[in-house]
Amino acid sequence: MSRKANYRAGSNSHRRGGGGGGGGGGPGGRREWRQEQYEEEPSRTAEETVPRGTCLTMCPLREVREREQQRRLHRFEVLPGTEGDRMPRADPSRAVKEYSRPAAGKDSTRPGDLRPPAVLLKTVRFLIDDIAAASPALEPWTEAYDFVFDRLRCVRQDMVIQRVSGAEAVAVLERIVRFLLYASYRLCEEPLRLYDPRINDTHLQESLSWLLDCYASGEHPRQDEFQALSLLYNLGSTRALRRALELPERVRASPAVRLALAVNRAHLERNPVRALRLARRLDFLQSCALHRHLAACRRDLLLLYSHGLSSRDCRYPLQRLARLLALDSTPPPPPPTSATPTACAWTATASSSPRRRTPSRLRGASAPPAPQNWWTGSGATPA
Amino acid sequence: MAHITINQYLQQVLEAIETRDGSFCAELMSFRHPHVANPRLQLSSPEEKCQQVLEPPYDEMVAAHLRCTYAVSNHDFVEAYRCQTVAFQAHKEENWALPVMFAVALDLRIFANNAEQQLQKGKGKQGDMLEKAAEQLMSCFRVCASDNRAGIDDSKKWGMLFLINQLFKIYFKINKLHLCKPLIRAIASSNLKDEYSMAQRVTYKYYVGRKAMFDSDFKQAEECLSFAFHHCHRSCQRNKRLVLIYLLPVKMLLGHMPTNQLLRKYDLLQFSDVTKAVSEGNLLLLNEALAKHETFFIRCGIFLILEKLKIITYRNLFKKVYQLLKTHQLPLDAFLVSLKMMQVEEVDIDEVQCILANLIYMGHIKGYISHQHQKLVQSLGHSCCYGGIMAEELIQAELWSPGGICHMITEGVGHMTPGHLHFSESSSCWWIQGR
Repeated sequence: MSRKANYRAGSNSHRRGGGGGGGGGGPGGRREWRQEQYEEEPSRTAEETVPRGTCLTMCPLREVREREQQRRLHRFEVLPGTEGDRMPRADPSRAVKEYSRPAAGKDSTRPGDLRPPAVLLKTVRFLIDDIAAASPALEPWTEAYDFVFDRLRCVRQDMVIQRVSGAEAVAVLERIVRFLLYASYRLCEEPLRLYDPRINDTHLQESLSWLLDCYASGEHPRQDEFQALSLLYNLGSTRALRRALELPERVRASPAVRLALAVNRAHLERNPVRALRLARRLDFLQSCALHRHLAACRRDLLLLYSHGLSSRDCRYPLQRLARLLALDSTPPPPPPTSATPTACAWTATASSSPRRRTPSRLRGASAPPAPQNWWTGSGATPA
Repeated sequence: MAHITINQYLQQVLEAIETRDGSFCAELMSFRHPHVANPRLQLSSPEEKCQQVLEPPYDEMVAAHLRCTYAVSNHDFVEAYRCQTVAFQAHKEENWALPVMFAVALDLRIFANNAEQQLQKGKGKQGDMLEKAAEQLMSCFRVCASDNRAGIDDSKKWGMLFLINQLFKIYFKINKLHLCKPLIRAIASSNLKDEYSMAQRVTYKYYVGRKAMFDSDFKQAEECLSFAFHHCHRSCQRNKRLVLIYLLPVKMLLGHMPTNQLLRKYDLLQFSDVTKAVSEGNLLLLNEALAKHETFFIRCGIFLILEKLKIITYRNLFKKVYQLLKTHQLPLDAFLVSLKMMQVEEVDIDEVQCILANLIYMGHIKGYISHQHQKLVQSLGHSCCYGGIMAEELIQAELWSPGGICHMITEGVGHMTPGHLHFSESSSCWWIQGR
């Protein structure tokens, strides 16, 4: 069998042609080399080369030992009672694989270091339920955020390497998106050295667009919730809107997406009065998503009013303006019934912290206090 | 031509190469030419034959082309795409061979598209094939764009615009418009930009106009699309219609309504109700028209642009209110009634003020709103403005704030007396700059 015939067979069956005899040499050598290179193309995307993780704990044992020795364990990972020791020990039930940059010469595809999708989901649940939502026990929250953010990043890295897709990816990504959305609101007044909104935004957008790509195939029960969040978080983005318009009718007609579209439409028509009024109907996580645009909406409104109502003798009542701008202090609608006293205490401590100078200016009245189950979405039970 | 043998075909190719006859060679490599239907040329492994007659790299290119015809005859577009890629990589970019490049590039894009569709029926990542094709075209584009040494007549730069148009088609298809920007810049800075063939320029302007439209740069969009419409060949009715689909919304946004005659001529009566609604100020009809042809408008990507026509529709509606009441001090209630008549959901007096303020801001209405009297006061010939308050003064002014307005005021929106806010116009200029 000549090499060329071999090449045909190889590309037809999408499989790498076996053996194929000795190297090129002779007159046609260069051409054969080129074909060989081309021949490898299909095998690169083939299924069998994708690594499958075998690590069944949140952190591979190798890394636990390594970080123990280098004393690089995070405060949250140390075994209780050994904190004061010269060499603190790791708590195997709390240590989580750390993010590390891909670098030349480093093999990040070792199956023993990769966690399969089920373990990844368990890890995400642990990070969010036991670390992020366990505050105020783990104050300051920025520390919990840094920890969870880093470990979630590693979760996504593991997913990328193993090409996790479909429902498994959706379950993990949905939780990540919720966490990042909530953090973007909760930390919006922190100084830059403690929280960088740009970085959070980059990761949120990345996770969100990956999630929406996953939705493109198959049925997903919470698709409407996240489509709505995407629309609100990217208020005024024609790209997000165009994408939403191409959604199947069933998703587009769901109440959450319809409300999110209505807010976007009002914004597009430059009708901030309507946009801000509709915003009062959003639930907690949706308000978090919209929150970063509130200042722009208010600016729009003031810009319009400063043109439309400008006359020597004209006045405008402040209380009314405050209401239009959603800056009034009328109590927001009561949070969902699941909000227990702990939840209220939690947000109360957050808003009365001395670092928050003018809470009402940035927060506005449209963001009600966090219900305890913000990470599971509006009253939905975790799957 | 349709029944020649493989040897005759290869002889013709050889002759074309030796005489450097680009366009004839292009025909022999193009899928628009009848030879591709010739079963005697559809070979699964024509390499050896080609090597006997042709010199590298042409042997490889022709071989890949023939393999491609074989794949196409078997309706295997994925394979055809792959063969075409090889042909594309192999072809040599010399100025005389530009027509060959055009033919091969065009076919490459079409096969990538077909392969894409074939793969989608199975399971594959969307846009993969087209993206890879774009990469190939891009590498060719780089070669063309960096050809600085040759004289203007022999320059490969003549190939730039064709490749850009092919790339545009792919980028628009896979929704990666941001990739168009460097290409537009390359042409804008080129000294050949007005010298390319009209067909290529029309295509180019069409895509640049569409991109400008999506970026809300309506003036540029109008210029480009008008150029494309006026210079498009009169026999290409389909292309003219395509241009119109984007030109119409842009023109309408700028206040030019199309005649029904035009819409009928190009089979675009979907726009007819929209036009009518906007010029009559009939919001209800506009919403109905948009809902009725929603799928068409969304598929064309103009739904969001058409929604922007609402603002002009408001203006025309409010003008009617003014014409009915024949006074320069119009009660806001009258506008509210008109909006309710148009079945705008949950509208109230605050929203009326907001819509009016927007129209005043955009310059569609001259006048101001008096909140105390709940009236719109239209200006008679001269504009009434209230100026003179500087931002610095405002910061010093004693301010009282319920829930944080104070901060907004210091940004220079207006000044306050206890319980009231006075908007100032001069400050708004400062304010826009601050954004």
